[in-house]
Formats: sequence, C-alpha cells, structure tokens
Amino acid sequence: MATEVRFKLNGNRMQMTVEDHWTLLHLLREELGLTGTKEGCGSGECGACTVVVDGLAVNSCLYLAVDVAGKDVLTIEGLAGKDGTLHPLQKSFVENGGIQCGFCTPGMILASKALLDENPRPSEAEIKHALAGNLCRCTGYVPIFASIQAVIDQGIEEVDVVVRQSESPSD
Amino acid sequence: MTLPINNGNEGGPPGIGVSIPRADAYMKVSGREKYASDYYGEDLVWCGVKRAGVPHVVIGEIHTRAASETPGVLAVLTHSDVRGTNRQGVLQKDQPVLADDKARHCGDAVALVIAEDRHSLNKALDLVSFDYELLPGVFDAEEALEEGAPILHENHPQGNLLLSGEYRTGAGASAMAECDVVVEGSFRTPRQEHAYLETEAGWAQVQDDGRLFIVCSTQTPFRDRSEVAEALGLDLHDVRIKAPYPGGAFGGKDGVTVQTLLGLAALNSGGRPVRMQWDREESFLAGTKRHPARLYYRLGAKRDGTLHCLDVHMVLDTGPYDHLGGVVLALGLEHAGGAYRVPHVNLKGKCVYTNNPVGGAFRGFGVPQVTAAIEQMIDMTAEKLQMDPLETRLRNAVRRGDKNSIGKTLVNSTGLRECLKALGEHPLWKSRAEWKAGAGAFKRRGAGVAALTHASGYGPVVPDVANAKVELTREGKFLIYSGVVDMGQGNATTNLQIAGSILCQPTDGMELVLPDTDRTLPSGSASASRCTYTFGNALIGAAENLKTRILQRAADLLMARSRDEIVLIPGGVRHLVSGKDLPLSVIAGFMDEAERISVHHFKAPTAPENFDAGPGIRMHGFPHTLFSYAAHLALVEVDELTGEITVCRYVAISDCGTVVNPQIYEQQIQGAVAQGIGFALCEDLVSTQGLILTQDFAGYVIPTAADVPEIDSVPVEIFEPSGPFGLKGVGEIAMNGPLPAISNAVADACGVRIFEYPMTPERVLAAIRDACKRISE
Amino acid sequence: MRKFAYLVPKTLDQAVSLHQSHGNRAMYVAGGTDVMVKVKSGKITPDYLISLKHALGSPQLRVNSDTGELHIGSLVTHRTLETSSTIKRHYPILHDAVQHIGSVQIRNVATIGGNLVNAVPSADGAIPLIALDAVAKVYAGTGERTVDLIHFFEGPGQTVLAPGEILTEIVVPKQPAPSAGAYQKYGRREAMELPLIGVGVQLSLEQGSNRCTKARIALGVAAPTPMRSLAAEHYLVGKEITEETLGEAGKLAADESRVRDSVRGLAWYRREMVEVFVKRMGMKCLERIKEMGA
Repeated sequence: MATEVRFKLNGNRMQMTVEDHWTLLHLLREELGLTGTKEGCGSGECGACTVVVDGLAVNSCLYLAVDVAGKDVLTIEGLAGKDGTLHPLQKSFVENGGIQCGFCTPGMILASKALLDENPRPSEAEIKHALAGNLCRCTGYVPIFASIQAVIDQGIEEVDVVVRQSESPSD
Repeated sequence: MTLPINNGNEGGPPGIGVSIPRADAYMKVSGREKYASDYYGEDLVWCGVKRAGVPHVVIGEIHTRAASETPGVLAVLTHSDVRGTNRQGVLQKDQPVLADDKARHCGDAVALVIAEDRHSLNKALDLVSFDYELLPGVFDAEEALEEGAPILHENHPQGNLLLSGEYRTGAGASAMAECDVVVEGSFRTPRQEHAYLETEAGWAQVQDDGRLFIVCSTQTPFRDRSEVAEALGLDLHDVRIKAPYPGGAFGGKDGVTVQTLLGLAALNSGGRPVRMQWDREESFLAGTKRHPARLYYRLGAKRDGTLHCLDVHMVLDTGPYDHLGGVVLALGLEHAGGAYRVPHVNLKGKCVYTNNPVGGAFRGFGVPQVTAAIEQMIDMTAEKLQMDPLETRLRNAVRRGDKNSIGKTLVNSTGLRECLKALGEHPLWKSRAEWKAGAGAFKRRGAGVAALTHASGYGPVVPDVANAKVELTREGKFLIYSGVVDMGQGNATTNLQIAGSILCQPTDGMELVLPDTDRTLPSGSASASRCTYTFGNALIGAAENLKTRILQRAADLLMARSRDEIVLIPGGVRHLVSGKDLPLSVIAGFMDEAERISVHHFKAPTAPENFDAGPGIRMHGFPHTLFSYAAHLALVEVDELTGEITVCRYVAISDCGTVVNPQIYEQQIQGAVAQGIGFALCEDLVSTQGLILTQDFAGYVIPTAADVPEIDSVPVEIFEPSGPFGLKGVGEIAMNGPLPAISNAVADACGVRIFEYPMTPERVLAAIRDACKRISE
Repeated sequence: MRKFAYLVPKTLDQAVSLHQSHGNRAMYVAGGTDVMVKVKSGKITPDYLISLKHALGSPQLRVNSDTGELHIGSLVTHRTLETSSTIKRHYPILHDAVQHIGSVQIRNVATIGGNLVNAVPSADGAIPLIALDAVAKVYAGTGERTVDLIHFFEGPGQTVLAPGEILTEIVVPKQPAPSAGAYQKYGRREAMELPLIGVGVQLSLEQGSNRCTKARIALGVAAPTPMRSLAAEHYLVGKEITEETLGEAGKLAADESRVRDSVRGLAWYRREMVEVFVKRMGMKCLERIKEMGA
C-alpha cells in the first residue's frame, strides 16, 4: 500500500507517494539518493541513521516514512548553507578532529545539533548522555566531545543564527 | 576536494608536526563522501547470501528452484556456477567462496541470490534450502587438538593444527631453576568483534569492455584483485577494484568479504550493477574476529627483579579458516615476552581450526592477547618481590642495542624507557596514592601500568613495499596517488602533508587519488602499523623526484645558473636571484606526461637475523625489525559489592617517532584505547556450539560515549631515522595496553586478579568473593 | 523487510474494528521502535500495522489537582517523561528509569504505552510504575476497564490485553507524603543497554521519622514478568529504614526473585545485585525524602 505525504525536507517542500513499509532511512537513501544518512545496524542501536524530525533526533531506520507527513525533516545534506558554508558543529568537527572513518559523523552531528538546540549549554555529563545512542568505533569519543564543547564555548548566539539559516525554507 | 576551511596555515604548505584537518573531513561532515555502501546506480540489482546456519555438515543437494521462481529473482547461484578455484584465503586458500563439500561454520556461504530489490531477495533467500549430513563439531581450540576430534579439513596434513611455532633462546625453560622467584598464570582472552559502523559492503558491474569492476569497503584492493580473479577464474587484468574510504575496518576488511560474491553476482546479472551489504547480524556471523587465546605463562626472575626466564604456551582459535591466523600466531609469539630483556625463553604456540566464527586480522594482531599476559606476569613478579611495578619494568625494559625477548637486536629507535620515565613523572601517577585514598564507601581504587611494544610491517619474507605516484597535471595541480587505504586512520591526510611539505603546496593545491587497481600502484595492505611508514617513505621519494624535475625545467626556462636558485612556492616556482615567479601551469606545459609523473618504490628494512621458530613461522613474519613503544596507566574504581569496574582516567605515553599530525596521532591512540577498554571490560562475541548468541549491538556491547574516560595521550618524540620525517607506526600499539593496565589496576585496588576476559562485574565479584573465602579459611 | 499496510484510524472505535476485521494479521503500533525491529528481523510478520497516533489523541501528561493522580497517556514518549520537571521532582523513580531506556533517539519516539504492551521482562518503564501502584486503563471497544499494572503482565511478550484491546492511559495514585522512590537499571555499560537487573524501590515514611509506612519493591528481569517482592515490602513496613533493615529487605527480595542464567549474566550474580540495589535504592529514597523536606 502507498500513501501520499507532504513534508519538509531540508527546507524544501516535498510531496510524494511512499510505500507504507518504507522506513525514513529507505526513503532518504534509496528513493531520494540522500546517502549522507548512514545505516549501521538497522535496529536503532548505533545512531548512524540519526536525522532530526521536528527538532527531535530520531533513528531513521525505525521511523516509518509515512509518519513524516506534515513534519520537518533535517538530514546532514541540509545542515550546511546552500553555498557550502558549514554549520558551526560541522566546522568544529573538522577542526577538532571529531571525525575518523566518518561513518558515524552525520548521525553524531545531527544528534549534537538536536541537543544544542534544546540545551545550548549542556554539561559534559549531559553531552555524554545525549550521545550515548551514537556509536563511534574510531575516535574513543574524546575529540567528538571536544568538537561539541568548542561550539558551546563559542556561545549561544552564533549557534542560534545558523540554526535559523539552515532551517529556513528555501523554496 | 578542496577544504573551504582553515588548513592550519592559510594558503601555505602544511607543516610537519601540525594538526591540519583531515583531507576527507569536509566531505564527511557534509554527508557527501561516497562510501562503498553508498553506490547504487541505474538498473541496480541486489545480491545476498544464504548462510549455512549449521556449524559442521557435509553439504548435499542445494535446492534453489523455489527461490529462482520467486518473482523478481534473476539468479540463484551455487558453487557449481563458480568457474575458478572457488577458494579464497590470504595465505592458505582454504575458504570456499560458495560451500561445495562442507560447511565448516554457521557463517559459510551456501548460495548467492540476485534479485531486483531487497524484498524479493530476502524472500528468495528464505526459500533456498540444502540437504546435509550433520558432522560432529569442535568448538574449543584445545579440544580440537585432541585425538579423535572432528577434523575440519580432511586434506590438511596436520589435522586441526593450522600452524605451530616453537622457539627457544638461551637454556629455554630449564633456566627456570636458576630463578629466585617464579610466577605462573593462565589467561583467556575473548573473541572480539570489529564492530565497524559500516558493515561489509560493495557494488560491482561488468563494464562495457568486459572487465569486472568492484567498488568495495576494503583495506586490501590489490590483494583482493588477485583473490577475486583466481577464485572466479578471471584474468587478473580483467578485474578492477576501487577502494573508497571504508566506514571503519580495524583489520576486519583486511582480506575478502563481499568482493568475490559480488564479482560472481556481477558476472551473472546481465551487465546490470549489483549491490551487496551485509546486515549487522550477518557481519557478526560471517565477518572475521580477533582470535580468542589461551595463554599459559611462567616467568622467572632474580631477587633484584631482573627477568631471567620465560616459558609460554599459547593456543589461538582461528575458526574454520586460516585467513590470517598463522600470521597472527607468529606476531603473538614474537611479542609474547613484551619489550624486555629475557635471556632464556621458551615459546610454543598453536593456531587451531574449530567450527567457531572465523578469526582474522584485528588491530593489534595477536599482540593484545600476549600483552595481556606478559604485562600481568610482570606485575605478579613485582608483587612477589615487593617491588614497584614501574621500577620492575624500567629495570628490564629494552634499550637500543639490546636483544629483546626473542633475541632480536634492536637497531632502531627504542623509546620504552623514555615512555616509562615520562609515566613516572606524570601527575596522575605521582598523585595516585591520594587519589586512591579518596574512594567512597564500598569502592576501591587502583592504578595499573602496562609497557607496550608493537612491530610494524610484514617481517622478513613477504616484501613490505609501497609504490608512490605523484603527478603534476597539465593544469599545474598535484595529484597524490594513495596506494594504501585510509580506513579512518588518517594516512590520506598525512600523505598530503608529506607531499605538500616537500612540494611547498597547500593542501588545496593538491588532490588525492584513492586506491584503485587501475589508477594507483600496488602498495600493500592498510595494516600492520605500516601505512604511513612504508607508503610515506615511497611518497617522499616520488615527491622529491618530481620536485627536482620541476626545478630543473624552471631553471632552464628562467635561465638560472642551476636549479639551486629555484624554489617551489604555493602554485608555482620562484627564481631567488631575479625574484621572478612562474606558475606551475606554465612549467607543466613545458613537461611531457612522462616527466610530470613521478613514481618511487620503497621496501621497508627487514631483520637480517634468521631465527628458527619452526616451519612456516618465519614465512608468517617472524621477526620484525622496527618497533613502536608505549607506557600506559589506568586509574580504576571497583565497586566491591557489584564488581563493576569504572575506568576513571587513562594515560597513554607513546614512542611512535616524530608526530606528523598531532590530531591524527591522538585520534589513533584514543580510539585504540577505547577499543582496548571494550576488550578489557565488556566485549565478547559469545557462541555455543558455533552459534553466535550476541547477534546485535544490544547483545555485543561496545563502549558508548558514556563509557569512555578522559584519555591523555602524550607523545615521546624520538626521531626514527628510517621513518618518513622520523615517524613510526602508531595505528595499533595503544590497543595492547588497556586490558593489562586495567587488570593490574584492579589487582592494585582489591587484591584480586582476573584471568578470564572481559572483566565483567560478575567475574570481578566472583574473584573478590573467592579471595574473601580464602582469607577466612 | 516484509511489506505491510499502515492504517491510521481516527478514533479508538475505528482502531478496534480494524483490528477485529484483520484479526491476528494486524497489530497496533505507537512509536514503533520495538515493532519495527521485530518486523525488520522477521520475528513478527503482520500484514497490517494499525497506528494509534490519531486514535489516542495528543499525548497527555498531567496531574489531576483534585485527586493528586498522575495521568500518563500511553502515547507519552520516554523523552517527555525524562524532561518533565514534574516527573523529575515528584516521581524521581520514573525519571531514573526512563532516562536510561534506549537512546535519546529511541526515547524521542518510543512511548510508555508501547514499552508496557511489549512486556519484555526488562521493561524499564514498568518497574517504577509498578512501584508507584500504577493502574492501566484499557479500552476494550465495549467500554473501559482498569488493571493494576502489577497484574498487567502474563509472561514474556504477554499481557492481559485481549486481542484488539488498547492501553490508553496509566494512572499513578497520589503517594502518601513523605515518600520517594529510586530505580537502578544495572547493565554492562552506561547506556543503550538491556539491563541485567532492574530494581525499583518506593518508600513512604512517617512524618518526621524514618519509620516506613509503605514500601514497594519492584524488580525487572528477576522473573519472566516484572514482579514485586512482597516479603521485602512486608518486612519493611513499620520498621525504621536503615542500612541494616534495607540490607535484610534486599536479602528477602533476592530470595524471592526468580532470576535465570542468560548470555547477559548469570543467575547468582543477578540475585546478588537484587540484594545490593534494593539496599542502595532504599538509601537513595531516604536521601531524596530528606532533600524534599529540606
């Protein structure tokens, strides 16, 4: 069975027919070609497929595509500006070495973004708590924390500005 | 692949010793990097594997009809569809691509299905069945060596013994009689899963010219090419393998995973592109693991703490296939005595076939297992002698010019003592007594150290070579052809740093070409702590050659007296005498293609010593000549009532030569320590009767963000003359430390030692209880 | 993955009638995080998933100021419970539990109703609610019935819900003052983990003393279903709460538990952890009551 859904994806209005059994991950990667969202386990245990739906980080591998109807979806492809300017979190991950193989990176950055949008000044414990659903096998997490901390240290204002830019509808 | 970000030195060439951001960072943070698992394409078909699901059977008829008749199925293939040898393996070709005679573990591939979509694929896979005759299985490496044990490979001359090694120095174990103290210990280390985030994946298609093109997540594109060609009966040159950045590998993609199956599918898909991606459960089932080890140690010392005699017996479980089991055994034997001077040594090791999951390469490669043992034996000796564990290590630690525990003379930089001394000066070590005294109710705290060594390269027989290629394009850009895969360790970036430093170019003036059997040159595997050492040396040669040619041509054009008057500057050259600049694009226009491409071959030095450790052991890499060193410190807190261990702080002090990129260096240390903490505390791929019981990340737990302590990485930079810019390998060594350091810390905290790993709370609590019982008796 | 149709009825009656017409080929789904894992792995093969998202209306989390009862709509997510200041302040036992269920990503989607209906022995949501004497409200098509949560579970994956019945709400009665609770999920790592054991303790004390007037000790993974240790509760009532009495209660609870060996942990160890954590959670209750008084 298929259902027609309207939703917002990275600021763009979408209207499309989705099969009931599709996951959001399938929709993104295999129907829309947005392969920045990764599949690491398919069962919600690794966080590589994290995207942000209506401001909340979710595992797109367990989220039904039909359930995005009326919602606002942000994937890693929509985080940077149209001109390629990186979001402060992306920039910070680059500069502070929050990346090795990079496979957990999109999910890790989006989980971090959802955290900072909700709580711009999380403690170290709160960061660890919020990222516990994003496995990284390369870095030992240390530079990932450093990358997030650097953004927090930059201050709330700057983050707010960029958040608004990246979420503004472009169509 | 330009970086629209600060490269650490805006517009200028990257320095050596500077943390320039990764070359791949921009693409990775923006989600645009294309991994092997991101290849789809027009007209795509999917393929997948029917796994045996039984650990040891004779395979009869394979029923494929129901599956082939499923709508959307293109083909169901079995061993009879394989035109080549149908065998793969790095050294021993003992692993079938598709099982023909027997299945030897649950993960053996029995049939390959090609279908229009995932849905029909899964439906068809469920419909494939096969007749079989159950054989008794063997699931314990020591039982597999007993008489009458079920045999896995009937034509293997030594039964279930894949490879054994035996090696003696001095008077061997008989010198134990001369020791004032002797300690004994037997240790069991677990089967560790790589758990890379990107499971085994790839894409393949037969191209218009008839050649097979495979894109896959691999550490070894060139070796894969040979394996695929041989197994499928193709000419080597009719296979092309391209290796994008893998989403993690750690040894688990050292060798063929999806490659041959994908190739076979592409040969049978009517020219359509084929995709395969193992799901997590399949990755656990069919991927390789760290070899579980049994280690039996006796260590003897003199009253003053001088080590005198070591007797080791080790048994590794390689599962049903060699893969790299023999090489892991050889490296384990070589490191069994750690980085100490021990005049009398007796080493025995066996690598054994069982019906368990396949053992293979995993960061550390046999060394984490033996280091777990030797570094606890040292503490046990120190305890018996009432000596300080750090002092005991310093007393015996190797120096340059010493013979190490296998009698190999250390001719390269040897910084273990410097690492140990730095650890002794570290504030966390110096303040450990106060820290321990601060433990709360029912908590005990302890500090533990481990001294580490790790060889780099392939050893004396298999040539450890790299072939670097650097090109100045007609447009005046440099192309750096990486022959060695960057699975996350960062060597692609250090390549740019090395080339950029020689050619005086900023990173955005150069472009990387990732490993591809058609474009880059064979440079060996991304493994063995060799990537930047071996390839970097080759790259220096290639870049220097090209630089000379450019300067010479520029000198001619600028009518300089000699090329010494010309220097490279970002994007061009400058004549120092006249102050005149020429852009590289102009110079490139005056060079023909042959001049613009520079190639350099480098072969890593090998040990001239010819040690006899038994047939095959030398072939498998015994001994090496270049070693990295480290000293680790773990501070742990143990809950006396639950047995739970918390690693509170961790310090890793490493001698891996010069640091080319501090950020990447630190990542390698911290990442390996985190994997080592998992190995020590929670990771164990549990199987009974060959069936894996921990099938997902809920059952097989790896450390999360909430489980890893602050990790302090301190480099001790000792210039290694044979290394590029003085560096040595840093990729693996830190993996060896956490288990023994943590176990030593637990012993320091509560006076009990755990001999079976991981150190789960129940094992710790049981040990605490046993100790209490012994005291009360 | 097997194909299925996703139905989104607007009302509970529509949901029930859809369920009736498709029988055992249909199942209800809320957040779907557990259902999707099972569907993807082929452990269940429904032809119809009936979403309760619309039928149950927007999720409600509120305290009835007249009765003092806490109402938790079954669609309330774990994350909502985790971030609710009411829950954190007045029902710390529930806050302890929900913040360690899955990950943020899971908690943003997974619902308390789904957690209960799933009836896994480790149901982290159930243990604190049982310790709080919560009641489940069930819509049966013909009307509503209520079930004490302790009687809600019949076995692993089995509840008292008849086919087609819907869990609509959980109601937590007002707790006698002063009281507090604490929950420990104990596993092999800090997060993303199914527990080896889950221990919830909720204690009420006499005003101004440490004498226990009411005790609830609820255990997860200690039996095929969530359980209470009646022996331990009975023992504590009327006694001063001290390390000693809690230790004794821990022993009683450990004896009463029916833990088993599994790949995650051995029975002897689980039993001991019941003892350890009943005591530790009991002490935490005392601390929390003290903090509330302060």
